[in-house]
Amino acid sequence: MSDRYLAEPDLGFINEVVGLGGDSLKKCYQCATCAVACPIAPDKKPFPRKEMLAASWGLKDKLVGNADIWLCHECGDCSDLCPRDAKPGEVLSAVRSYAITEYATPKSLGKIVNNSKMLLLLLVVPGLWFGLMAYITMAHGKTMDKIFHAVNEMIPIGMLQKFHWYHGPHGDGAPIAHAQFISTWLVDFTFVPLSLAVAVILALGLKKFLTDIHANAVIEGKAEKTDFSVMDVFTPNFLKAFVNVVITILKHQKFNECSENSDRATPHMMLLFGFIGCAIVTGVCVLLLYGLNMPGPYPQMFLKFIPNPLKALANVAGMAIIIGSGLLIKNRLDKTDGTTSYKDWYLLAVVFIIGVTGMLAEMTRIGMPGMPAITFAIYWAHLVAVFNLFAFLPFSKMAHFVYRTVAMAYAEYVGR
Amino acid sequence: MSKKYGVYICTGCGIGDSLDIKDLCDVPEEEGLPVKTHEFLCGKEGVELINKDVESGTNALVIGACSRRVNFDVFRWAGCIVERVNLREQVAWSHPRSEFPALTEEQKGDEEHFDRVQMLAEDYIKMGMIRVEKVELPEPYKPDTFTRKILVLGGGITGMSAALDASKAGYEVTIVEKEDSIGGYAAKLRKQMPIAADPSEGLISPIVSDIISKVEADSKINVKTNTVVARIAGQPGEFTVTMKKPGEKIPFDVPFPLPEEMKLDENGKELDVEQQHEAYLKYNEGREDILQMDPNGEMFGAVVLAAGWRPDAIEGDDYTHLSIGDPDVITNDQFEAIAAKGKITRPSDGKEAKSVVFVQSPGKEEDDSDFNYCGAVTSLVSLKQAKYVREDYGDGKAYVIYQHIRTPGLQENFYKTIQQDEGIFLTKGAVTGVSKNGGGLVVEADNTLLGDKIQINADLVVLAAGMVPATVDDPVVNLAYRQGPAFRDNDIFDEYADSNFICFPYETQRTGIYAAGAIRRSMTIEESIEDAAGATLKAIQCIESANRGMAVHPRSGDMTFPDFFFQRCTQCKRCTEECPFGALDDDEKGTPKPNPTRCRRCGTCMGACPERIIGFADYSIDSIGSQVKAIGVPSEDDYDEPPFRILGLVCENDAYPALDMAGLKRLSFSADVRFIPVRCLGSVNVIWIKDALAQGMDGAFLLGCKHGDDYQCHFVKGSELASIRMKKIGDALSSLALEEERVTQFEIGIDECDKLPKMINDFVEEVEALGPNPFKGF
Repeated sequence: MSDRYLAEPDLGFINEVVGLGGDSLKKCYQCATCAVACPIAPDKKPFPRKEMLAASWGLKDKLVGNADIWLCHECGDCSDLCPRDAKPGEVLSAVRSYAITEYATPKSLGKIVNNSKMLLLLLVVPGLWFGLMAYITMAHGKTMDKIFHAVNEMIPIGMLQKFHWYHGPHGDGAPIAHAQFISTWLVDFTFVPLSLAVAVILALGLKKFLTDIHANAVIEGKAEKTDFSVMDVFTPNFLKAFVNVVITILKHQKFNECSENSDRATPHMMLLFGFIGCAIVTGVCVLLLYGLNMPGPYPQMFLKFIPNPLKALANVAGMAIIIGSGLLIKNRLDKTDGTTSYKDWYLLAVVFIIGVTGMLAEMTRIGMPGMPAITFAIYWAHLVAVFNLFAFLPFSKMAHFVYRTVAMAYAEYVGR
Repeated sequence: MSKKYGVYICTGCGIGDSLDIKDLCDVPEEEGLPVKTHEFLCGKEGVELINKDVESGTNALVIGACSRRVNFDVFRWAGCIVERVNLREQVAWSHPRSEFPALTEEQKGDEEHFDRVQMLAEDYIKMGMIRVEKVELPEPYKPDTFTRKILVLGGGITGMSAALDASKAGYEVTIVEKEDSIGGYAAKLRKQMPIAADPSEGLISPIVSDIISKVEADSKINVKTNTVVARIAGQPGEFTVTMKKPGEKIPFDVPFPLPEEMKLDENGKELDVEQQHEAYLKYNEGREDILQMDPNGEMFGAVVLAAGWRPDAIEGDDYTHLSIGDPDVITNDQFEAIAAKGKITRPSDGKEAKSVVFVQSPGKEEDDSDFNYCGAVTSLVSLKQAKYVREDYGDGKAYVIYQHIRTPGLQENFYKTIQQDEGIFLTKGAVTGVSKNGGGLVVEADNTLLGDKIQINADLVVLAAGMVPATVDDPVVNLAYRQGPAFRDNDIFDEYADSNFICFPYETQRTGIYAAGAIRRSMTIEESIEDAAGATLKAIQCIESANRGMAVHPRSGDMTFPDFFFQRCTQCKRCTEECPFGALDDDEKGTPKPNPTRCRRCGTCMGACPERIIGFADYSIDSIGSQVKAIGVPSEDDYDEPPFRILGLVCENDAYPALDMAGLKRLSFSADVRFIPVRCLGSVNVIWIKDALAQGMDGAFLLGCKHGDDYQCHFVKGSELASIRMKKIGDALSSLALEEERVTQFEIGIDECDKLPKMINDFVEEVEALGPNPFKGF
């Protein structure tokens, strides 16, 4: 009795996966065309056939903690060749959406993030928050400046840079800077703790995730290395696997093995490098601001003809995000055979809006010197969008970059 | 009939290039028969040439041209005897001059050389000439009494549909149903599979009530419920049927033949004929003899057998691992009964059954066979019943574990529709056990699609019991035939009432009895309705053919029938026993009583008769025997090394077409074999072979279809009977000091013409190795 797997279909799970865009999952008749067609499935116990059966049987336990669903890049070759139109690619995508919410806490927040009816809430809360931040900056700047001076008095001289409330140009007649609208301090007071919280949520999720996918791999005989504990991620061998995987991801090697959805590889790569570029710029800016006390806005050019490399990188990265997400949106609009769920649209829209508002905020700041209200409004929208991306990362589709990277590193490490 | 002969030889299609037509024409001319040749005999001019002669009185025609299997509609004249001599496929085309060179002028007339192909053609012309001399045009048999009424056995969906179809075609029908009401199993369902063109629409409400009301409203249909058939006597067109209440004992209950063990005495010795007859009478005491017609019997022209099926009971040691004794392990039939009453509940405690496992195959890992009498219908039923669970409970789960799921044709769409239900789970797998677990059951299965040994918690387990045809339990038709009340050798069809499933649907081994519906194979309601139409049309065809004295099947339209010269009958009963269709009933003395409308004209009786007193107007011991004797057998008086002569008796249904196809494909074979088509190898009388060997022919073979369980014989048993007779001929040959190897029988399928040349040539070589027949030249 004990060696038998107790099959307990979960009707709720099936319904949820159907709702997440996996409405074709019941069509599978197990011909295994998908597992043969998949260019990136391993030879041993290939996916997605077994995942399709588990999905149609509602075997949540075989899917949610299954690394294979993350090895899939939804290139669509399986869905294209499926004789029954069961769309394994879409089903796995829906299962991944489900898995993300399973590993993220608190679950109630996950429900809100993935519910289209709650979208307004996701916008109003950060909107009001940044409104409050703008009110503090613009109406009580002088008060804040006094508080900073008082704080500076308490810090022993010479130990650190003096803290100043005002970053960059301020006062009447100064050129427009976004810090005049919402202080950089308040922006960072918002995002730094937020990022830490997100990191904790993800770490907790990943711990459970790694335990689950290893247990699943052992049961299904997919891993060559069967002894694995979560703490192994800190060993040099795992690190090596991780680095290999990161290189693979940067090169989009897996993506490029696909044929059906190959047009998605380039935009996705633009987005990835766009975000990396923005991360570098942000890092340098933090260093300049808090390390060298050099607040922005920084000039586009040095001596009027040498481009500022920091600005150039930021502009190129920003454009990459706009073009990349724009192309992905176009792809999805053009494709009539695929399914696109609210989760997909939500993430694409957030990313696109981040790119567009970011670039527009910069352009209106420089190009419309007499009308600060316009650029401030765009900047406010930009902050709301960035908040959506960061705060809800563990619950939204954006979490894929964490789970997929870890799952790929795990697979590399255990010899999947 | 006074005959005026005419011989016509076509020189087209390569015949004229291959043969010396002048020499060929000399053959009939020497006999004083007029000969005409034409280069395109089947063309307008050629036919006109013959038409003119027919108008001026020619009525016995020998056409030397293509095979009789082609242009049969061109070479046909009312009131004329026509013999087709196959000079094209079996002479010119299968014996190319490149392999069988013609003689040069110098070679002609010497004693060393001869033209084998010319000899072949001349023999065939001679054989054709003697045949038209020996045969007569048939006078059809007309029964004295005749009725067009159709009897339908069974008032289920098939029987009712058959009755409605017959009524629509203008025939009066009586339905006999043993239950209290008509409707059958179809009236016991909650829902049924769709009957529309697109089965993807899912389950529908049963359509049976609609059909019942149509039957009840039909003035041509007479329904007799609570009734069974005690006996069906007589023959198509005039069956005399006695009916009774189920279970009743009446004098016209059909007598059964004496079982084999009762034909022996205490010492195991077979009783003599009189003792056997006595034992038979005792065995059937109180029952009238089959030849005694019931004066109160009702007359029918033909019978549609639609007695259907019963659900199988799953019992015995083979199924103990399925916990068949548990009240919550039930059959699909029991499940349907629960479903028809209301929500699905457990028989043990009446609780809701929300997790139901449907087991399609008994399992036991190494064995993937299904339950007995399972098929596509039980597969479809499991899908249908799984849907019931989902209809009743929103959180219900239905599992189907199968080794085979059969959803033929458009039923695939029904399968797809069911599969779409999120609460229905399908997997292939071997069910290794069902056991009790607390209040519920646990089903264990191996080798499933899930890849594991799995277990499923179930409230209820449903086993796919098969559909057992009614003919397993009971002959149903209760025929007052000497061969017995049931179909013979039905066991090779697992007792399904059928004679030849693929080629001749609806035909049973008893002419005038046509099977339809689940008694033939398991069928859905939709299939049964269609099947009923087929069987009804066969019944109508039978009535309308019997009325005209024509054979129904497979020699449709044949007006001949076996003629007996009773003065010389020795009452050996061989014809009665060997007739594949039970057409002959012998009286207490053993004299056969022919029932011509039961007959299919295969000639098996003619082949069986040791006294050779049975024949047909155009097919007799004499007509074939004379053809054998017409074959020229050259001896050493003629040539230094005379060619061998071998007789081939060829079944005209499969083997003869195969021979023609060999010619069509230009496959060549020995020119020393002379073929004579026969109606069936069962009609081959061994006297023909003895005659052939006695006149100096060196060997003989029969070429017919495959026999055994997968027989291909149009007449069920013909080739099998022939093989039994061939085994016995060996003794006769050795008494003549001839080797047994000179006579043999080959089996060939209609699609195996490529095998023929080797088969024929090898046999010729074998015979040549034995040396010439010592009787040659006597």
